[in-house]
Amino acid sequence: MTKIKRRAAAVILLVVLMLAGLGFYIYSYYKDGMMWASFPANQSVYNNGRLSVGTITDRDGEILAKVSNGQRKYSDDSAVRKSTLHVIGDRYGNIGTGALYLFEEELTGFDHINGTYSKEGEGGTVTLSVSAALNAAAYEALNGRKGVVAVCDCVTGEILCMVSSPSFDPDNMPESFEAPQYDGVYINRFLSSVYTPGSVFKLVTIAAAIENIPDLEDRTFICTGSYETGGGDIVCTGYHGEITVDEALAVSCNCVFGQLAEEVGAETLGEYADKYGFTESFAINGVFTESGKYEISDHSYNVAWSGIGQYNDLVNPSAMLRFVSAVANGGYAPELTMLKGDNAADSEYMIKNSTATMLGEMMSYNVYRTYGEERFAGINMHAKSGTAELGGDIAPHSWFVGYGEKDGKTLAFVVVIENGGSGSSAAGNVAATVMQKAFDICG
Amino acid sequence: MTIFAEFFDVLCEKVNIVFGDRFSDFTHITRYILPALSLWILLRCAISLLREKQSPEEWGYLTLPGGVRVTLRHWENIIGRGKSADVFINYPTVSRTHGALIRKDSGVWTIYDLGSKTGVLVNAAKIKKPRVLSAGDIINIGGVDMIFVPIDRVGERIQAESRRRFSRKRQGFTLILLNILQLFLSLQFIAAGGEHSDKVLAGFFGLSVVMWATYIFTRIIRRNAFELETMAFLLTTAGFAVTATSVPEDMLKQVLFLTIGVVLYFVVGWFLRSLNSAVKLKWPIAAVGLLLLAVNIVLSDAVFGAKNWLTIGGFSFQPSEFVKVCFIFAGAASLDRMFARRNLIMFIGFAACCVLALVIMSDLGTGIIFFVTYLIIAFLRSGSIGTVFLSVGGAGLAAVMAVSVKPYIASRFSTWRHAWETPYDGGYQQTRTMSAAASGGLFGVGAGNGWLENVFAANTDMVFGVICEELGLIMAVILIFTVLLMAVYAFKYASNARSSFYTIASVSTASLLVFQMMLNVLGCVDILPFTGVTFPFVSKGGSSLIACFGLLAFLKACDTRQNASFTVKMPKKVKIKNSKTKAVRYDTHTDYDFDEESDAANSGRVDNFFDGYDDRWMKDD
Repeated sequence: MTKIKRRAAAVILLVVLMLAGLGFYIYSYYKDGMMWASFPANQSVYNNGRLSVGTITDRDGEILAKVSNGQRKYSDDSAVRKSTLHVIGDRYGNIGTGALYLFEEELTGFDHINGTYSKEGEGGTVTLSVSAALNAAAYEALNGRKGVVAVCDCVTGEILCMVSSPSFDPDNMPESFEAPQYDGVYINRFLSSVYTPGSVFKLVTIAAAIENIPDLEDRTFICTGSYETGGGDIVCTGYHGEITVDEALAVSCNCVFGQLAEEVGAETLGEYADKYGFTESFAINGVFTESGKYEISDHSYNVAWSGIGQYNDLVNPSAMLRFVSAVANGGYAPELTMLKGDNAADSEYMIKNSTATMLGEMMSYNVYRTYGEERFAGINMHAKSGTAELGGDIAPHSWFVGYGEKDGKTLAFVVVIENGGSGSSAAGNVAATVMQKAFDICG
Repeated sequence: MTIFAEFFDVLCEKVNIVFGDRFSDFTHITRYILPALSLWILLRCAISLLREKQSPEEWGYLTLPGGVRVTLRHWENIIGRGKSADVFINYPTVSRTHGALIRKDSGVWTIYDLGSKTGVLVNAAKIKKPRVLSAGDIINIGGVDMIFVPIDRVGERIQAESRRRFSRKRQGFTLILLNILQLFLSLQFIAAGGEHSDKVLAGFFGLSVVMWATYIFTRIIRRNAFELETMAFLLTTAGFAVTATSVPEDMLKQVLFLTIGVVLYFVVGWFLRSLNSAVKLKWPIAAVGLLLLAVNIVLSDAVFGAKNWLTIGGFSFQPSEFVKVCFIFAGAASLDRMFARRNLIMFIGFAACCVLALVIMSDLGTGIIFFVTYLIIAFLRSGSIGTVFLSVGGAGLAAVMAVSVKPYIASRFSTWRHAWETPYDGGYQQTRTMSAAASGGLFGVGAGNGWLENVFAANTDMVFGVICEELGLIMAVILIFTVLLMAVYAFKYASNARSSFYTIASVSTASLLVFQMMLNVLGCVDILPFTGVTFPFVSKGGSSLIACFGLLAFLKACDTRQNASFTVKMPKKVKIKNSKTKAVRYDTHTDYDFDEESDAANSGRVDNFFDGYDDRWMKDD
């Protein structure tokens, strides 16, 4: 008996194994529970694979999306619904970059004590950094034209405005999206599109020149309306004569920038495009942005045009917003976010501090010299326009990027209007409206 | 029946009227109370079980030269120089395992020579075959003389009385707590507003009735330990909650299965009361088990891939569940049988047949359970002779299993730990279990409010997920600890069992239950491969529930605390005259008759149900 009695301890071994397994399970629950709960088959919080709980509000607590009686409800205001569609995501999951999908885990309302249970079953709440009113104003300013308007806080990286057009009203969906006006309606153009940048790319060229051409500030350049290189003509926007680089940026002189590009070299320009984050995808709340492109050519004609933002250059609007934020922020690029108060993120030292300061001064001069300070009354504006030629008879893309300062607050913006024509007038007007509104609302 | 149905229907309506809109508050609050109640119940059982001091029974004495008296604490005692000998005689002429002293139910003691070098002498005569002993016989082991004095009937009775003094936890109160738990659960189900709320209510009521009937019957037969049964009923209550959420229309069927299970519990326990008949019955019972499996293989249709279902007369059941009871019977052996090689070979053969049959049915999970139980039994039984046979047998079985079910195993193992990579294929059930379990958090979403029950086999194989989702992780952990406490109980009390038959039976049963639970719980959350076995007592299904209650009798059989277990016989009636230990309260009787039957008639007093002990046995000292 004594022997069997001792060996009975075998059962305790099984007990210990069970406890170890249970301990491992509890650890896994602690670690991965939120991921498990936000699995689309979880019918507590999903209905047919769509999140059926959770509330999304704008930065001031205005409800952008909620669930009532198992139905997804958007804002009561049609303009807000349209302008925040790409921020929130549509009800059928076609816009995969919306907050409904990005913040699923938070929206389930999961916590380790109560799981996804809550008495009223309303799930979690996510407060976005965007302002509903600002979005609506920006969407209105675009006036049906396709394009992007985005504004962010240069220090925290909080995105205050994110509009992608075309859009639609999720509560009054068009029957068909066949019409050309709905081309790419499911794409958030801010995150997932790339455009030929045109002259806004000159900011990159000038930054590379500042750091690579020692006597740049003392030099003058000659513009005769065009110059010939590599068997082709670089055509300018006008006849500028003998000018400095500051002046050249302000008037957006293609001759000067073509020469600067050739002098700096395609290799170096490529390095700067990489360094300033234009050629690589980066993540905004887990969404990877579309990466832009800078193609290094060994042909001087192409090199010259690439420094002017033509040739094969492509830029993603969010990368541009991040870049101008860095200029405003002493060279430090904030990590962009759609969540309010999510400013713990590390900023990245992107632009040499002195270069950023010089760029800022030049952009300020642009406004003074070319765009007109009176258009941005009360705002200390820094900007660069771009009119990106697309060849043939196609109207050029209109860009306006930069940042404004008012009452100690610095907000960066990017406006792109597809086939919008002149950058400074078309996109510039939208930027003027939106920035005034932005400081009114968020300043 | 219709009156009952109407009654519960009306009751449901009334409850709805009384609570009305406040029902969501009810679930909101009681979801914290349910785990607290369960924990209280489990703790009361645990304290009652673990706090009670073990006083082993004494069955006889060996007086050595010089007056040293060795107590025989079991019915089976090994005498020898080996460390594990029950009667340890450190003398060079004594073999390690020299002889065995074995008592039968009848009280007859026999001495065996276990192939010792110097032999066993009784009254100076060397024994050639096992010899029956009488009181006062002088046993000589390796030159050491011992006087053998067994405890007589009167002595047994005196011992029984003296061991009776421990006051056990008031188990009636624990059952009332369990009733409250059941009540809250039923109300939560009504709150959830299912279609069959009346059936759910009736089901829980039936459960409560069966529970109290079991308790009252236990008290009538003068047994007062009910911890193990309480734990089984706690698990069954959770099981009823699972049935209520998944197939509420089956609630009454579940009550029927529970009743059959409790009857089986008493029947198996009754067989175990007499060691002699238990030992005699084991091979017939094993044969019945094999027959069941054979019939299963020949007649069954494949249900959901595994062919482990048998349908007879409209009733579907899983023979393999019942074979578990047969398996434990076949595996357990009293000490005298253990030395018979034939017995061992028969068991290996039996185990091999069982595992093979399950492999043919492609019931991998149950096959593994049998195999692990076999290993535990083999480990418990292996003496010097058997070790070789058993290990060879074990390896053989493992090899056969591995080869025959290879594609099956391969597919299970490919998903294992990768469930989230194939959530719509191999990891379908595991991912849903984890997702639902996480949804429930620590306190659950409330009984009847979950969705996992809609997933195929949720109420059996993924029952851990259903419990986690609806009643919360804490409740699930409490249920796991309940089964683990059963194992600790078996371990603690098995050491005082009268015969190795009971020790092996209870320890192997506990191992079977724990291992099965391990496969169920860890399988459905992707920590072990998903094998689709049931959670003892909790998973829905008649066969499993009935078999679990049958197995419970084996656990109960090792409990030699006085008046604790009905599977342990109390001393037979004897007449004590002028005994100094006579109970004061009965001193008007000059000749008190300790008749079991007449006592049984008295002990059914209702006022006594909540008492942990029978106060008639509290004596004047």
